[in-house]
Amino acid sequence: MGIPNVALPVSRRLELVIEGGPRPRLGQALRELWSFRHTVLAFAERDVRVKYKQTVLGVLWAVLQPLAFMVVFTVAFGRFAKVPGGGAPYPAFSLSALVPWTFLQTAVTFGANALLMDSAIIRKVYLPREVPVLGAVGAAAVDFIIGVALFVVLAPVLGARFSLAWLLVPVLGMLLALLAAAVALPLAALNVYYRDFRYALPFALQLWLFASPVVYPLSVVPAQWRGLYVVANPAAGILDAFRSVLALGTTPDVGLLAASLAGTVLLLWVGFRLFKSLEPGFADLV
Amino acid sequence: MGYAVRFEDVTKRYPRGGPRYPSLRHELAEGARRLGQRLRGERPEPRGILALDRVSFEVEEGEAFAIIGPNGAGKSTALKLVSRISYPTGGRVRVRGRVAALIEVGSGVHPELTARENIWLYGQILGMPKAEIRRRFDDIVEFAELGHVLDTPVKLYSSGMQLRLGFAIASHLDPDVFVVDEALAVGDAGFQARCVERMATLVAEGRTLIFVSHNLSAVEAICRQGLFLLDGRVKGVSGAGEALQSYLNWVDAAHLARTSEEVSLRPSRYLELLAVGCHKPNDGERYAFATGEDIEVRLRFLARRELTRPYVSIGITDGRPGTLALCSMLVDGGAPEQIVGEVEFRCLLRGVPLLPRVYQLWCSVRGEQAFGDLFDWQPVGAFRIATSPGLQGPAAMAHTATDGPVHIPHVWEVQGCP
Repeated sequence: MGIPNVALPVSRRLELVIEGGPRPRLGQALRELWSFRHTVLAFAERDVRVKYKQTVLGVLWAVLQPLAFMVVFTVAFGRFAKVPGGGAPYPAFSLSALVPWTFLQTAVTFGANALLMDSAIIRKVYLPREVPVLGAVGAAAVDFIIGVALFVVLAPVLGARFSLAWLLVPVLGMLLALLAAAVALPLAALNVYYRDFRYALPFALQLWLFASPVVYPLSVVPAQWRGLYVVANPAAGILDAFRSVLALGTTPDVGLLAASLAGTVLLLWVGFRLFKSLEPGFADLV
Repeated sequence: MGYAVRFEDVTKRYPRGGPRYPSLRHELAEGARRLGQRLRGERPEPRGILALDRVSFEVEEGEAFAIIGPNGAGKSTALKLVSRISYPTGGRVRVRGRVAALIEVGSGVHPELTARENIWLYGQILGMPKAEIRRRFDDIVEFAELGHVLDTPVKLYSSGMQLRLGFAIASHLDPDVFVVDEALAVGDAGFQARCVERMATLVAEGRTLIFVSHNLSAVEAICRQGLFLLDGRVKGVSGAGEALQSYLNWVDAAHLARTSEEVSLRPSRYLELLAVGCHKPNDGERYAFATGEDIEVRLRFLARRELTRPYVSIGITDGRPGTLALCSMLVDGGAPEQIVGEVEFRCLLRGVPLLPRVYQLWCSVRGEQAFGDLFDWQPVGAFRIATSPGLQGPAAMAHTATDGPVHIPHVWEVQGCP
């Protein structure tokens, strides 16, 4: 049966001690996560494959949601309510924020439910439990890339012009992925303990959409409050940066972006710690 | 040689018994109740279910180690601790080397994906590097015998095929310690035999195997050492054979206790069964016999009044509907003219041709002058065929409850071979 594999002698093996009590330190947890990076990609690949199996429209689903919202928002807010586009035509203005918003929403939704969806694996295979959550965020990133490509293709129609600032999109995308992970991790952990969070999530995401500059520009927030607002809602700074880059072709406000980054890192630290402290109970409860 | 796995005073308490889907509301109410208990100076009882209670044992490296015990004894919990899926409440588990767990194999295989995709993705999820999967891909396909449906979504497979795929992937991982839980519960006899063979190969390669199964003949075939767990406590660690023996003695005792309870539930007006026993002829009472041995069944009755010509019948069943064998005085004759007070009936079963497992004894007594039975047809005892000298070959190891219980002496002959 193939090439025989000879087990390593005991002396060359690491001894692992499994016990209750305090969790491994942050650095150790991150090193372990790094050693599982291929597994994260495997989860992401699996999620993408599964998502489009047995669908007629296939990848069209990735772009349908932002496009439909763009049409509705353009008519409702652009035409009737006359929300200002901040120098860009309203369709470009809204789609440039809707594409990243859809990524955030999808990543958080699937990430928060990842442990429940993969309960069979959680209950029988050891891996750092954040792996399926991050895999779900990675799978959502594929939709995001398709969404950005759609924006680029539609740009002339929407009234946006090509700009070198577009090259910043990957950086902003990574920032957004960090934010999605920061929100999805604690939610995924809490979901295992209390299913209440599962039902509250769609509702909370709707609130978050309207609390972020998607239908309106960030400039409607008074200037002296903007910094605080962006720290409290890191999505605001990142979405505004996407808008500056994609719709207006200008470089984003670095100060606001830094505030967003600070908020994201803080959230990620708290969220990851919470996740790791709840992790030992997952297999018993999921 | 050192240990590969070592349990040091390990306790595992599952945090919540009862509602499977706890809610925030329930938690708050529970917290308030416990706070109340504390305020009144009572010590609240520890919460949850105690699955393992100060368990200590050691598995030598390169050893095949069985954990046996009835359902709910804590076997699966112990395996989950070894594979880091769950964490102990107290004590510690030491593990040397990489662990692969085959706990409920197959349930992690994704139904929407094809076998090919599952081998790649599930393999990686289990921690197999891509190069390793590429190298062993054909082995896995061959082992699972799914070459012809490699590109069909797994959801269209039968459950047996899904299990085969799961076992094939997981058993081609390359760990130092293998943890196998009830992998043989499903799958046809041929596949079970190959699983047993595969595990034996892994042990021969020098890997450590920890094996949980209710398939005791497979345990006996593969494992050298055994741990008998009962209610989360260690009942004994010894050679696999002895551990099996003490487990089976416990099973028999529990079985006998149950059947005698049933007996006492159905008393008869005329005839009371005082004792039932299986004996080696002219020897002491026993539970365990070998295939082909003589078994003497002794039934001691108390006749409450004079009874004329009571015809005693005994039957043997293997737990499934229908009687395997019937020995009856209605057919054979030999009923005494008259009995009163204590009497013992002995029936010598010659060369009992039954294969290893537990059998139940049934009994009834029909009287001549009474209408109906003096003693209703009911289970009265049990015996076990423990060994079978002639058994060999792959299926002998993975022998299951679907096999026929009766052993007919037979000879194979193949004609037309070069």
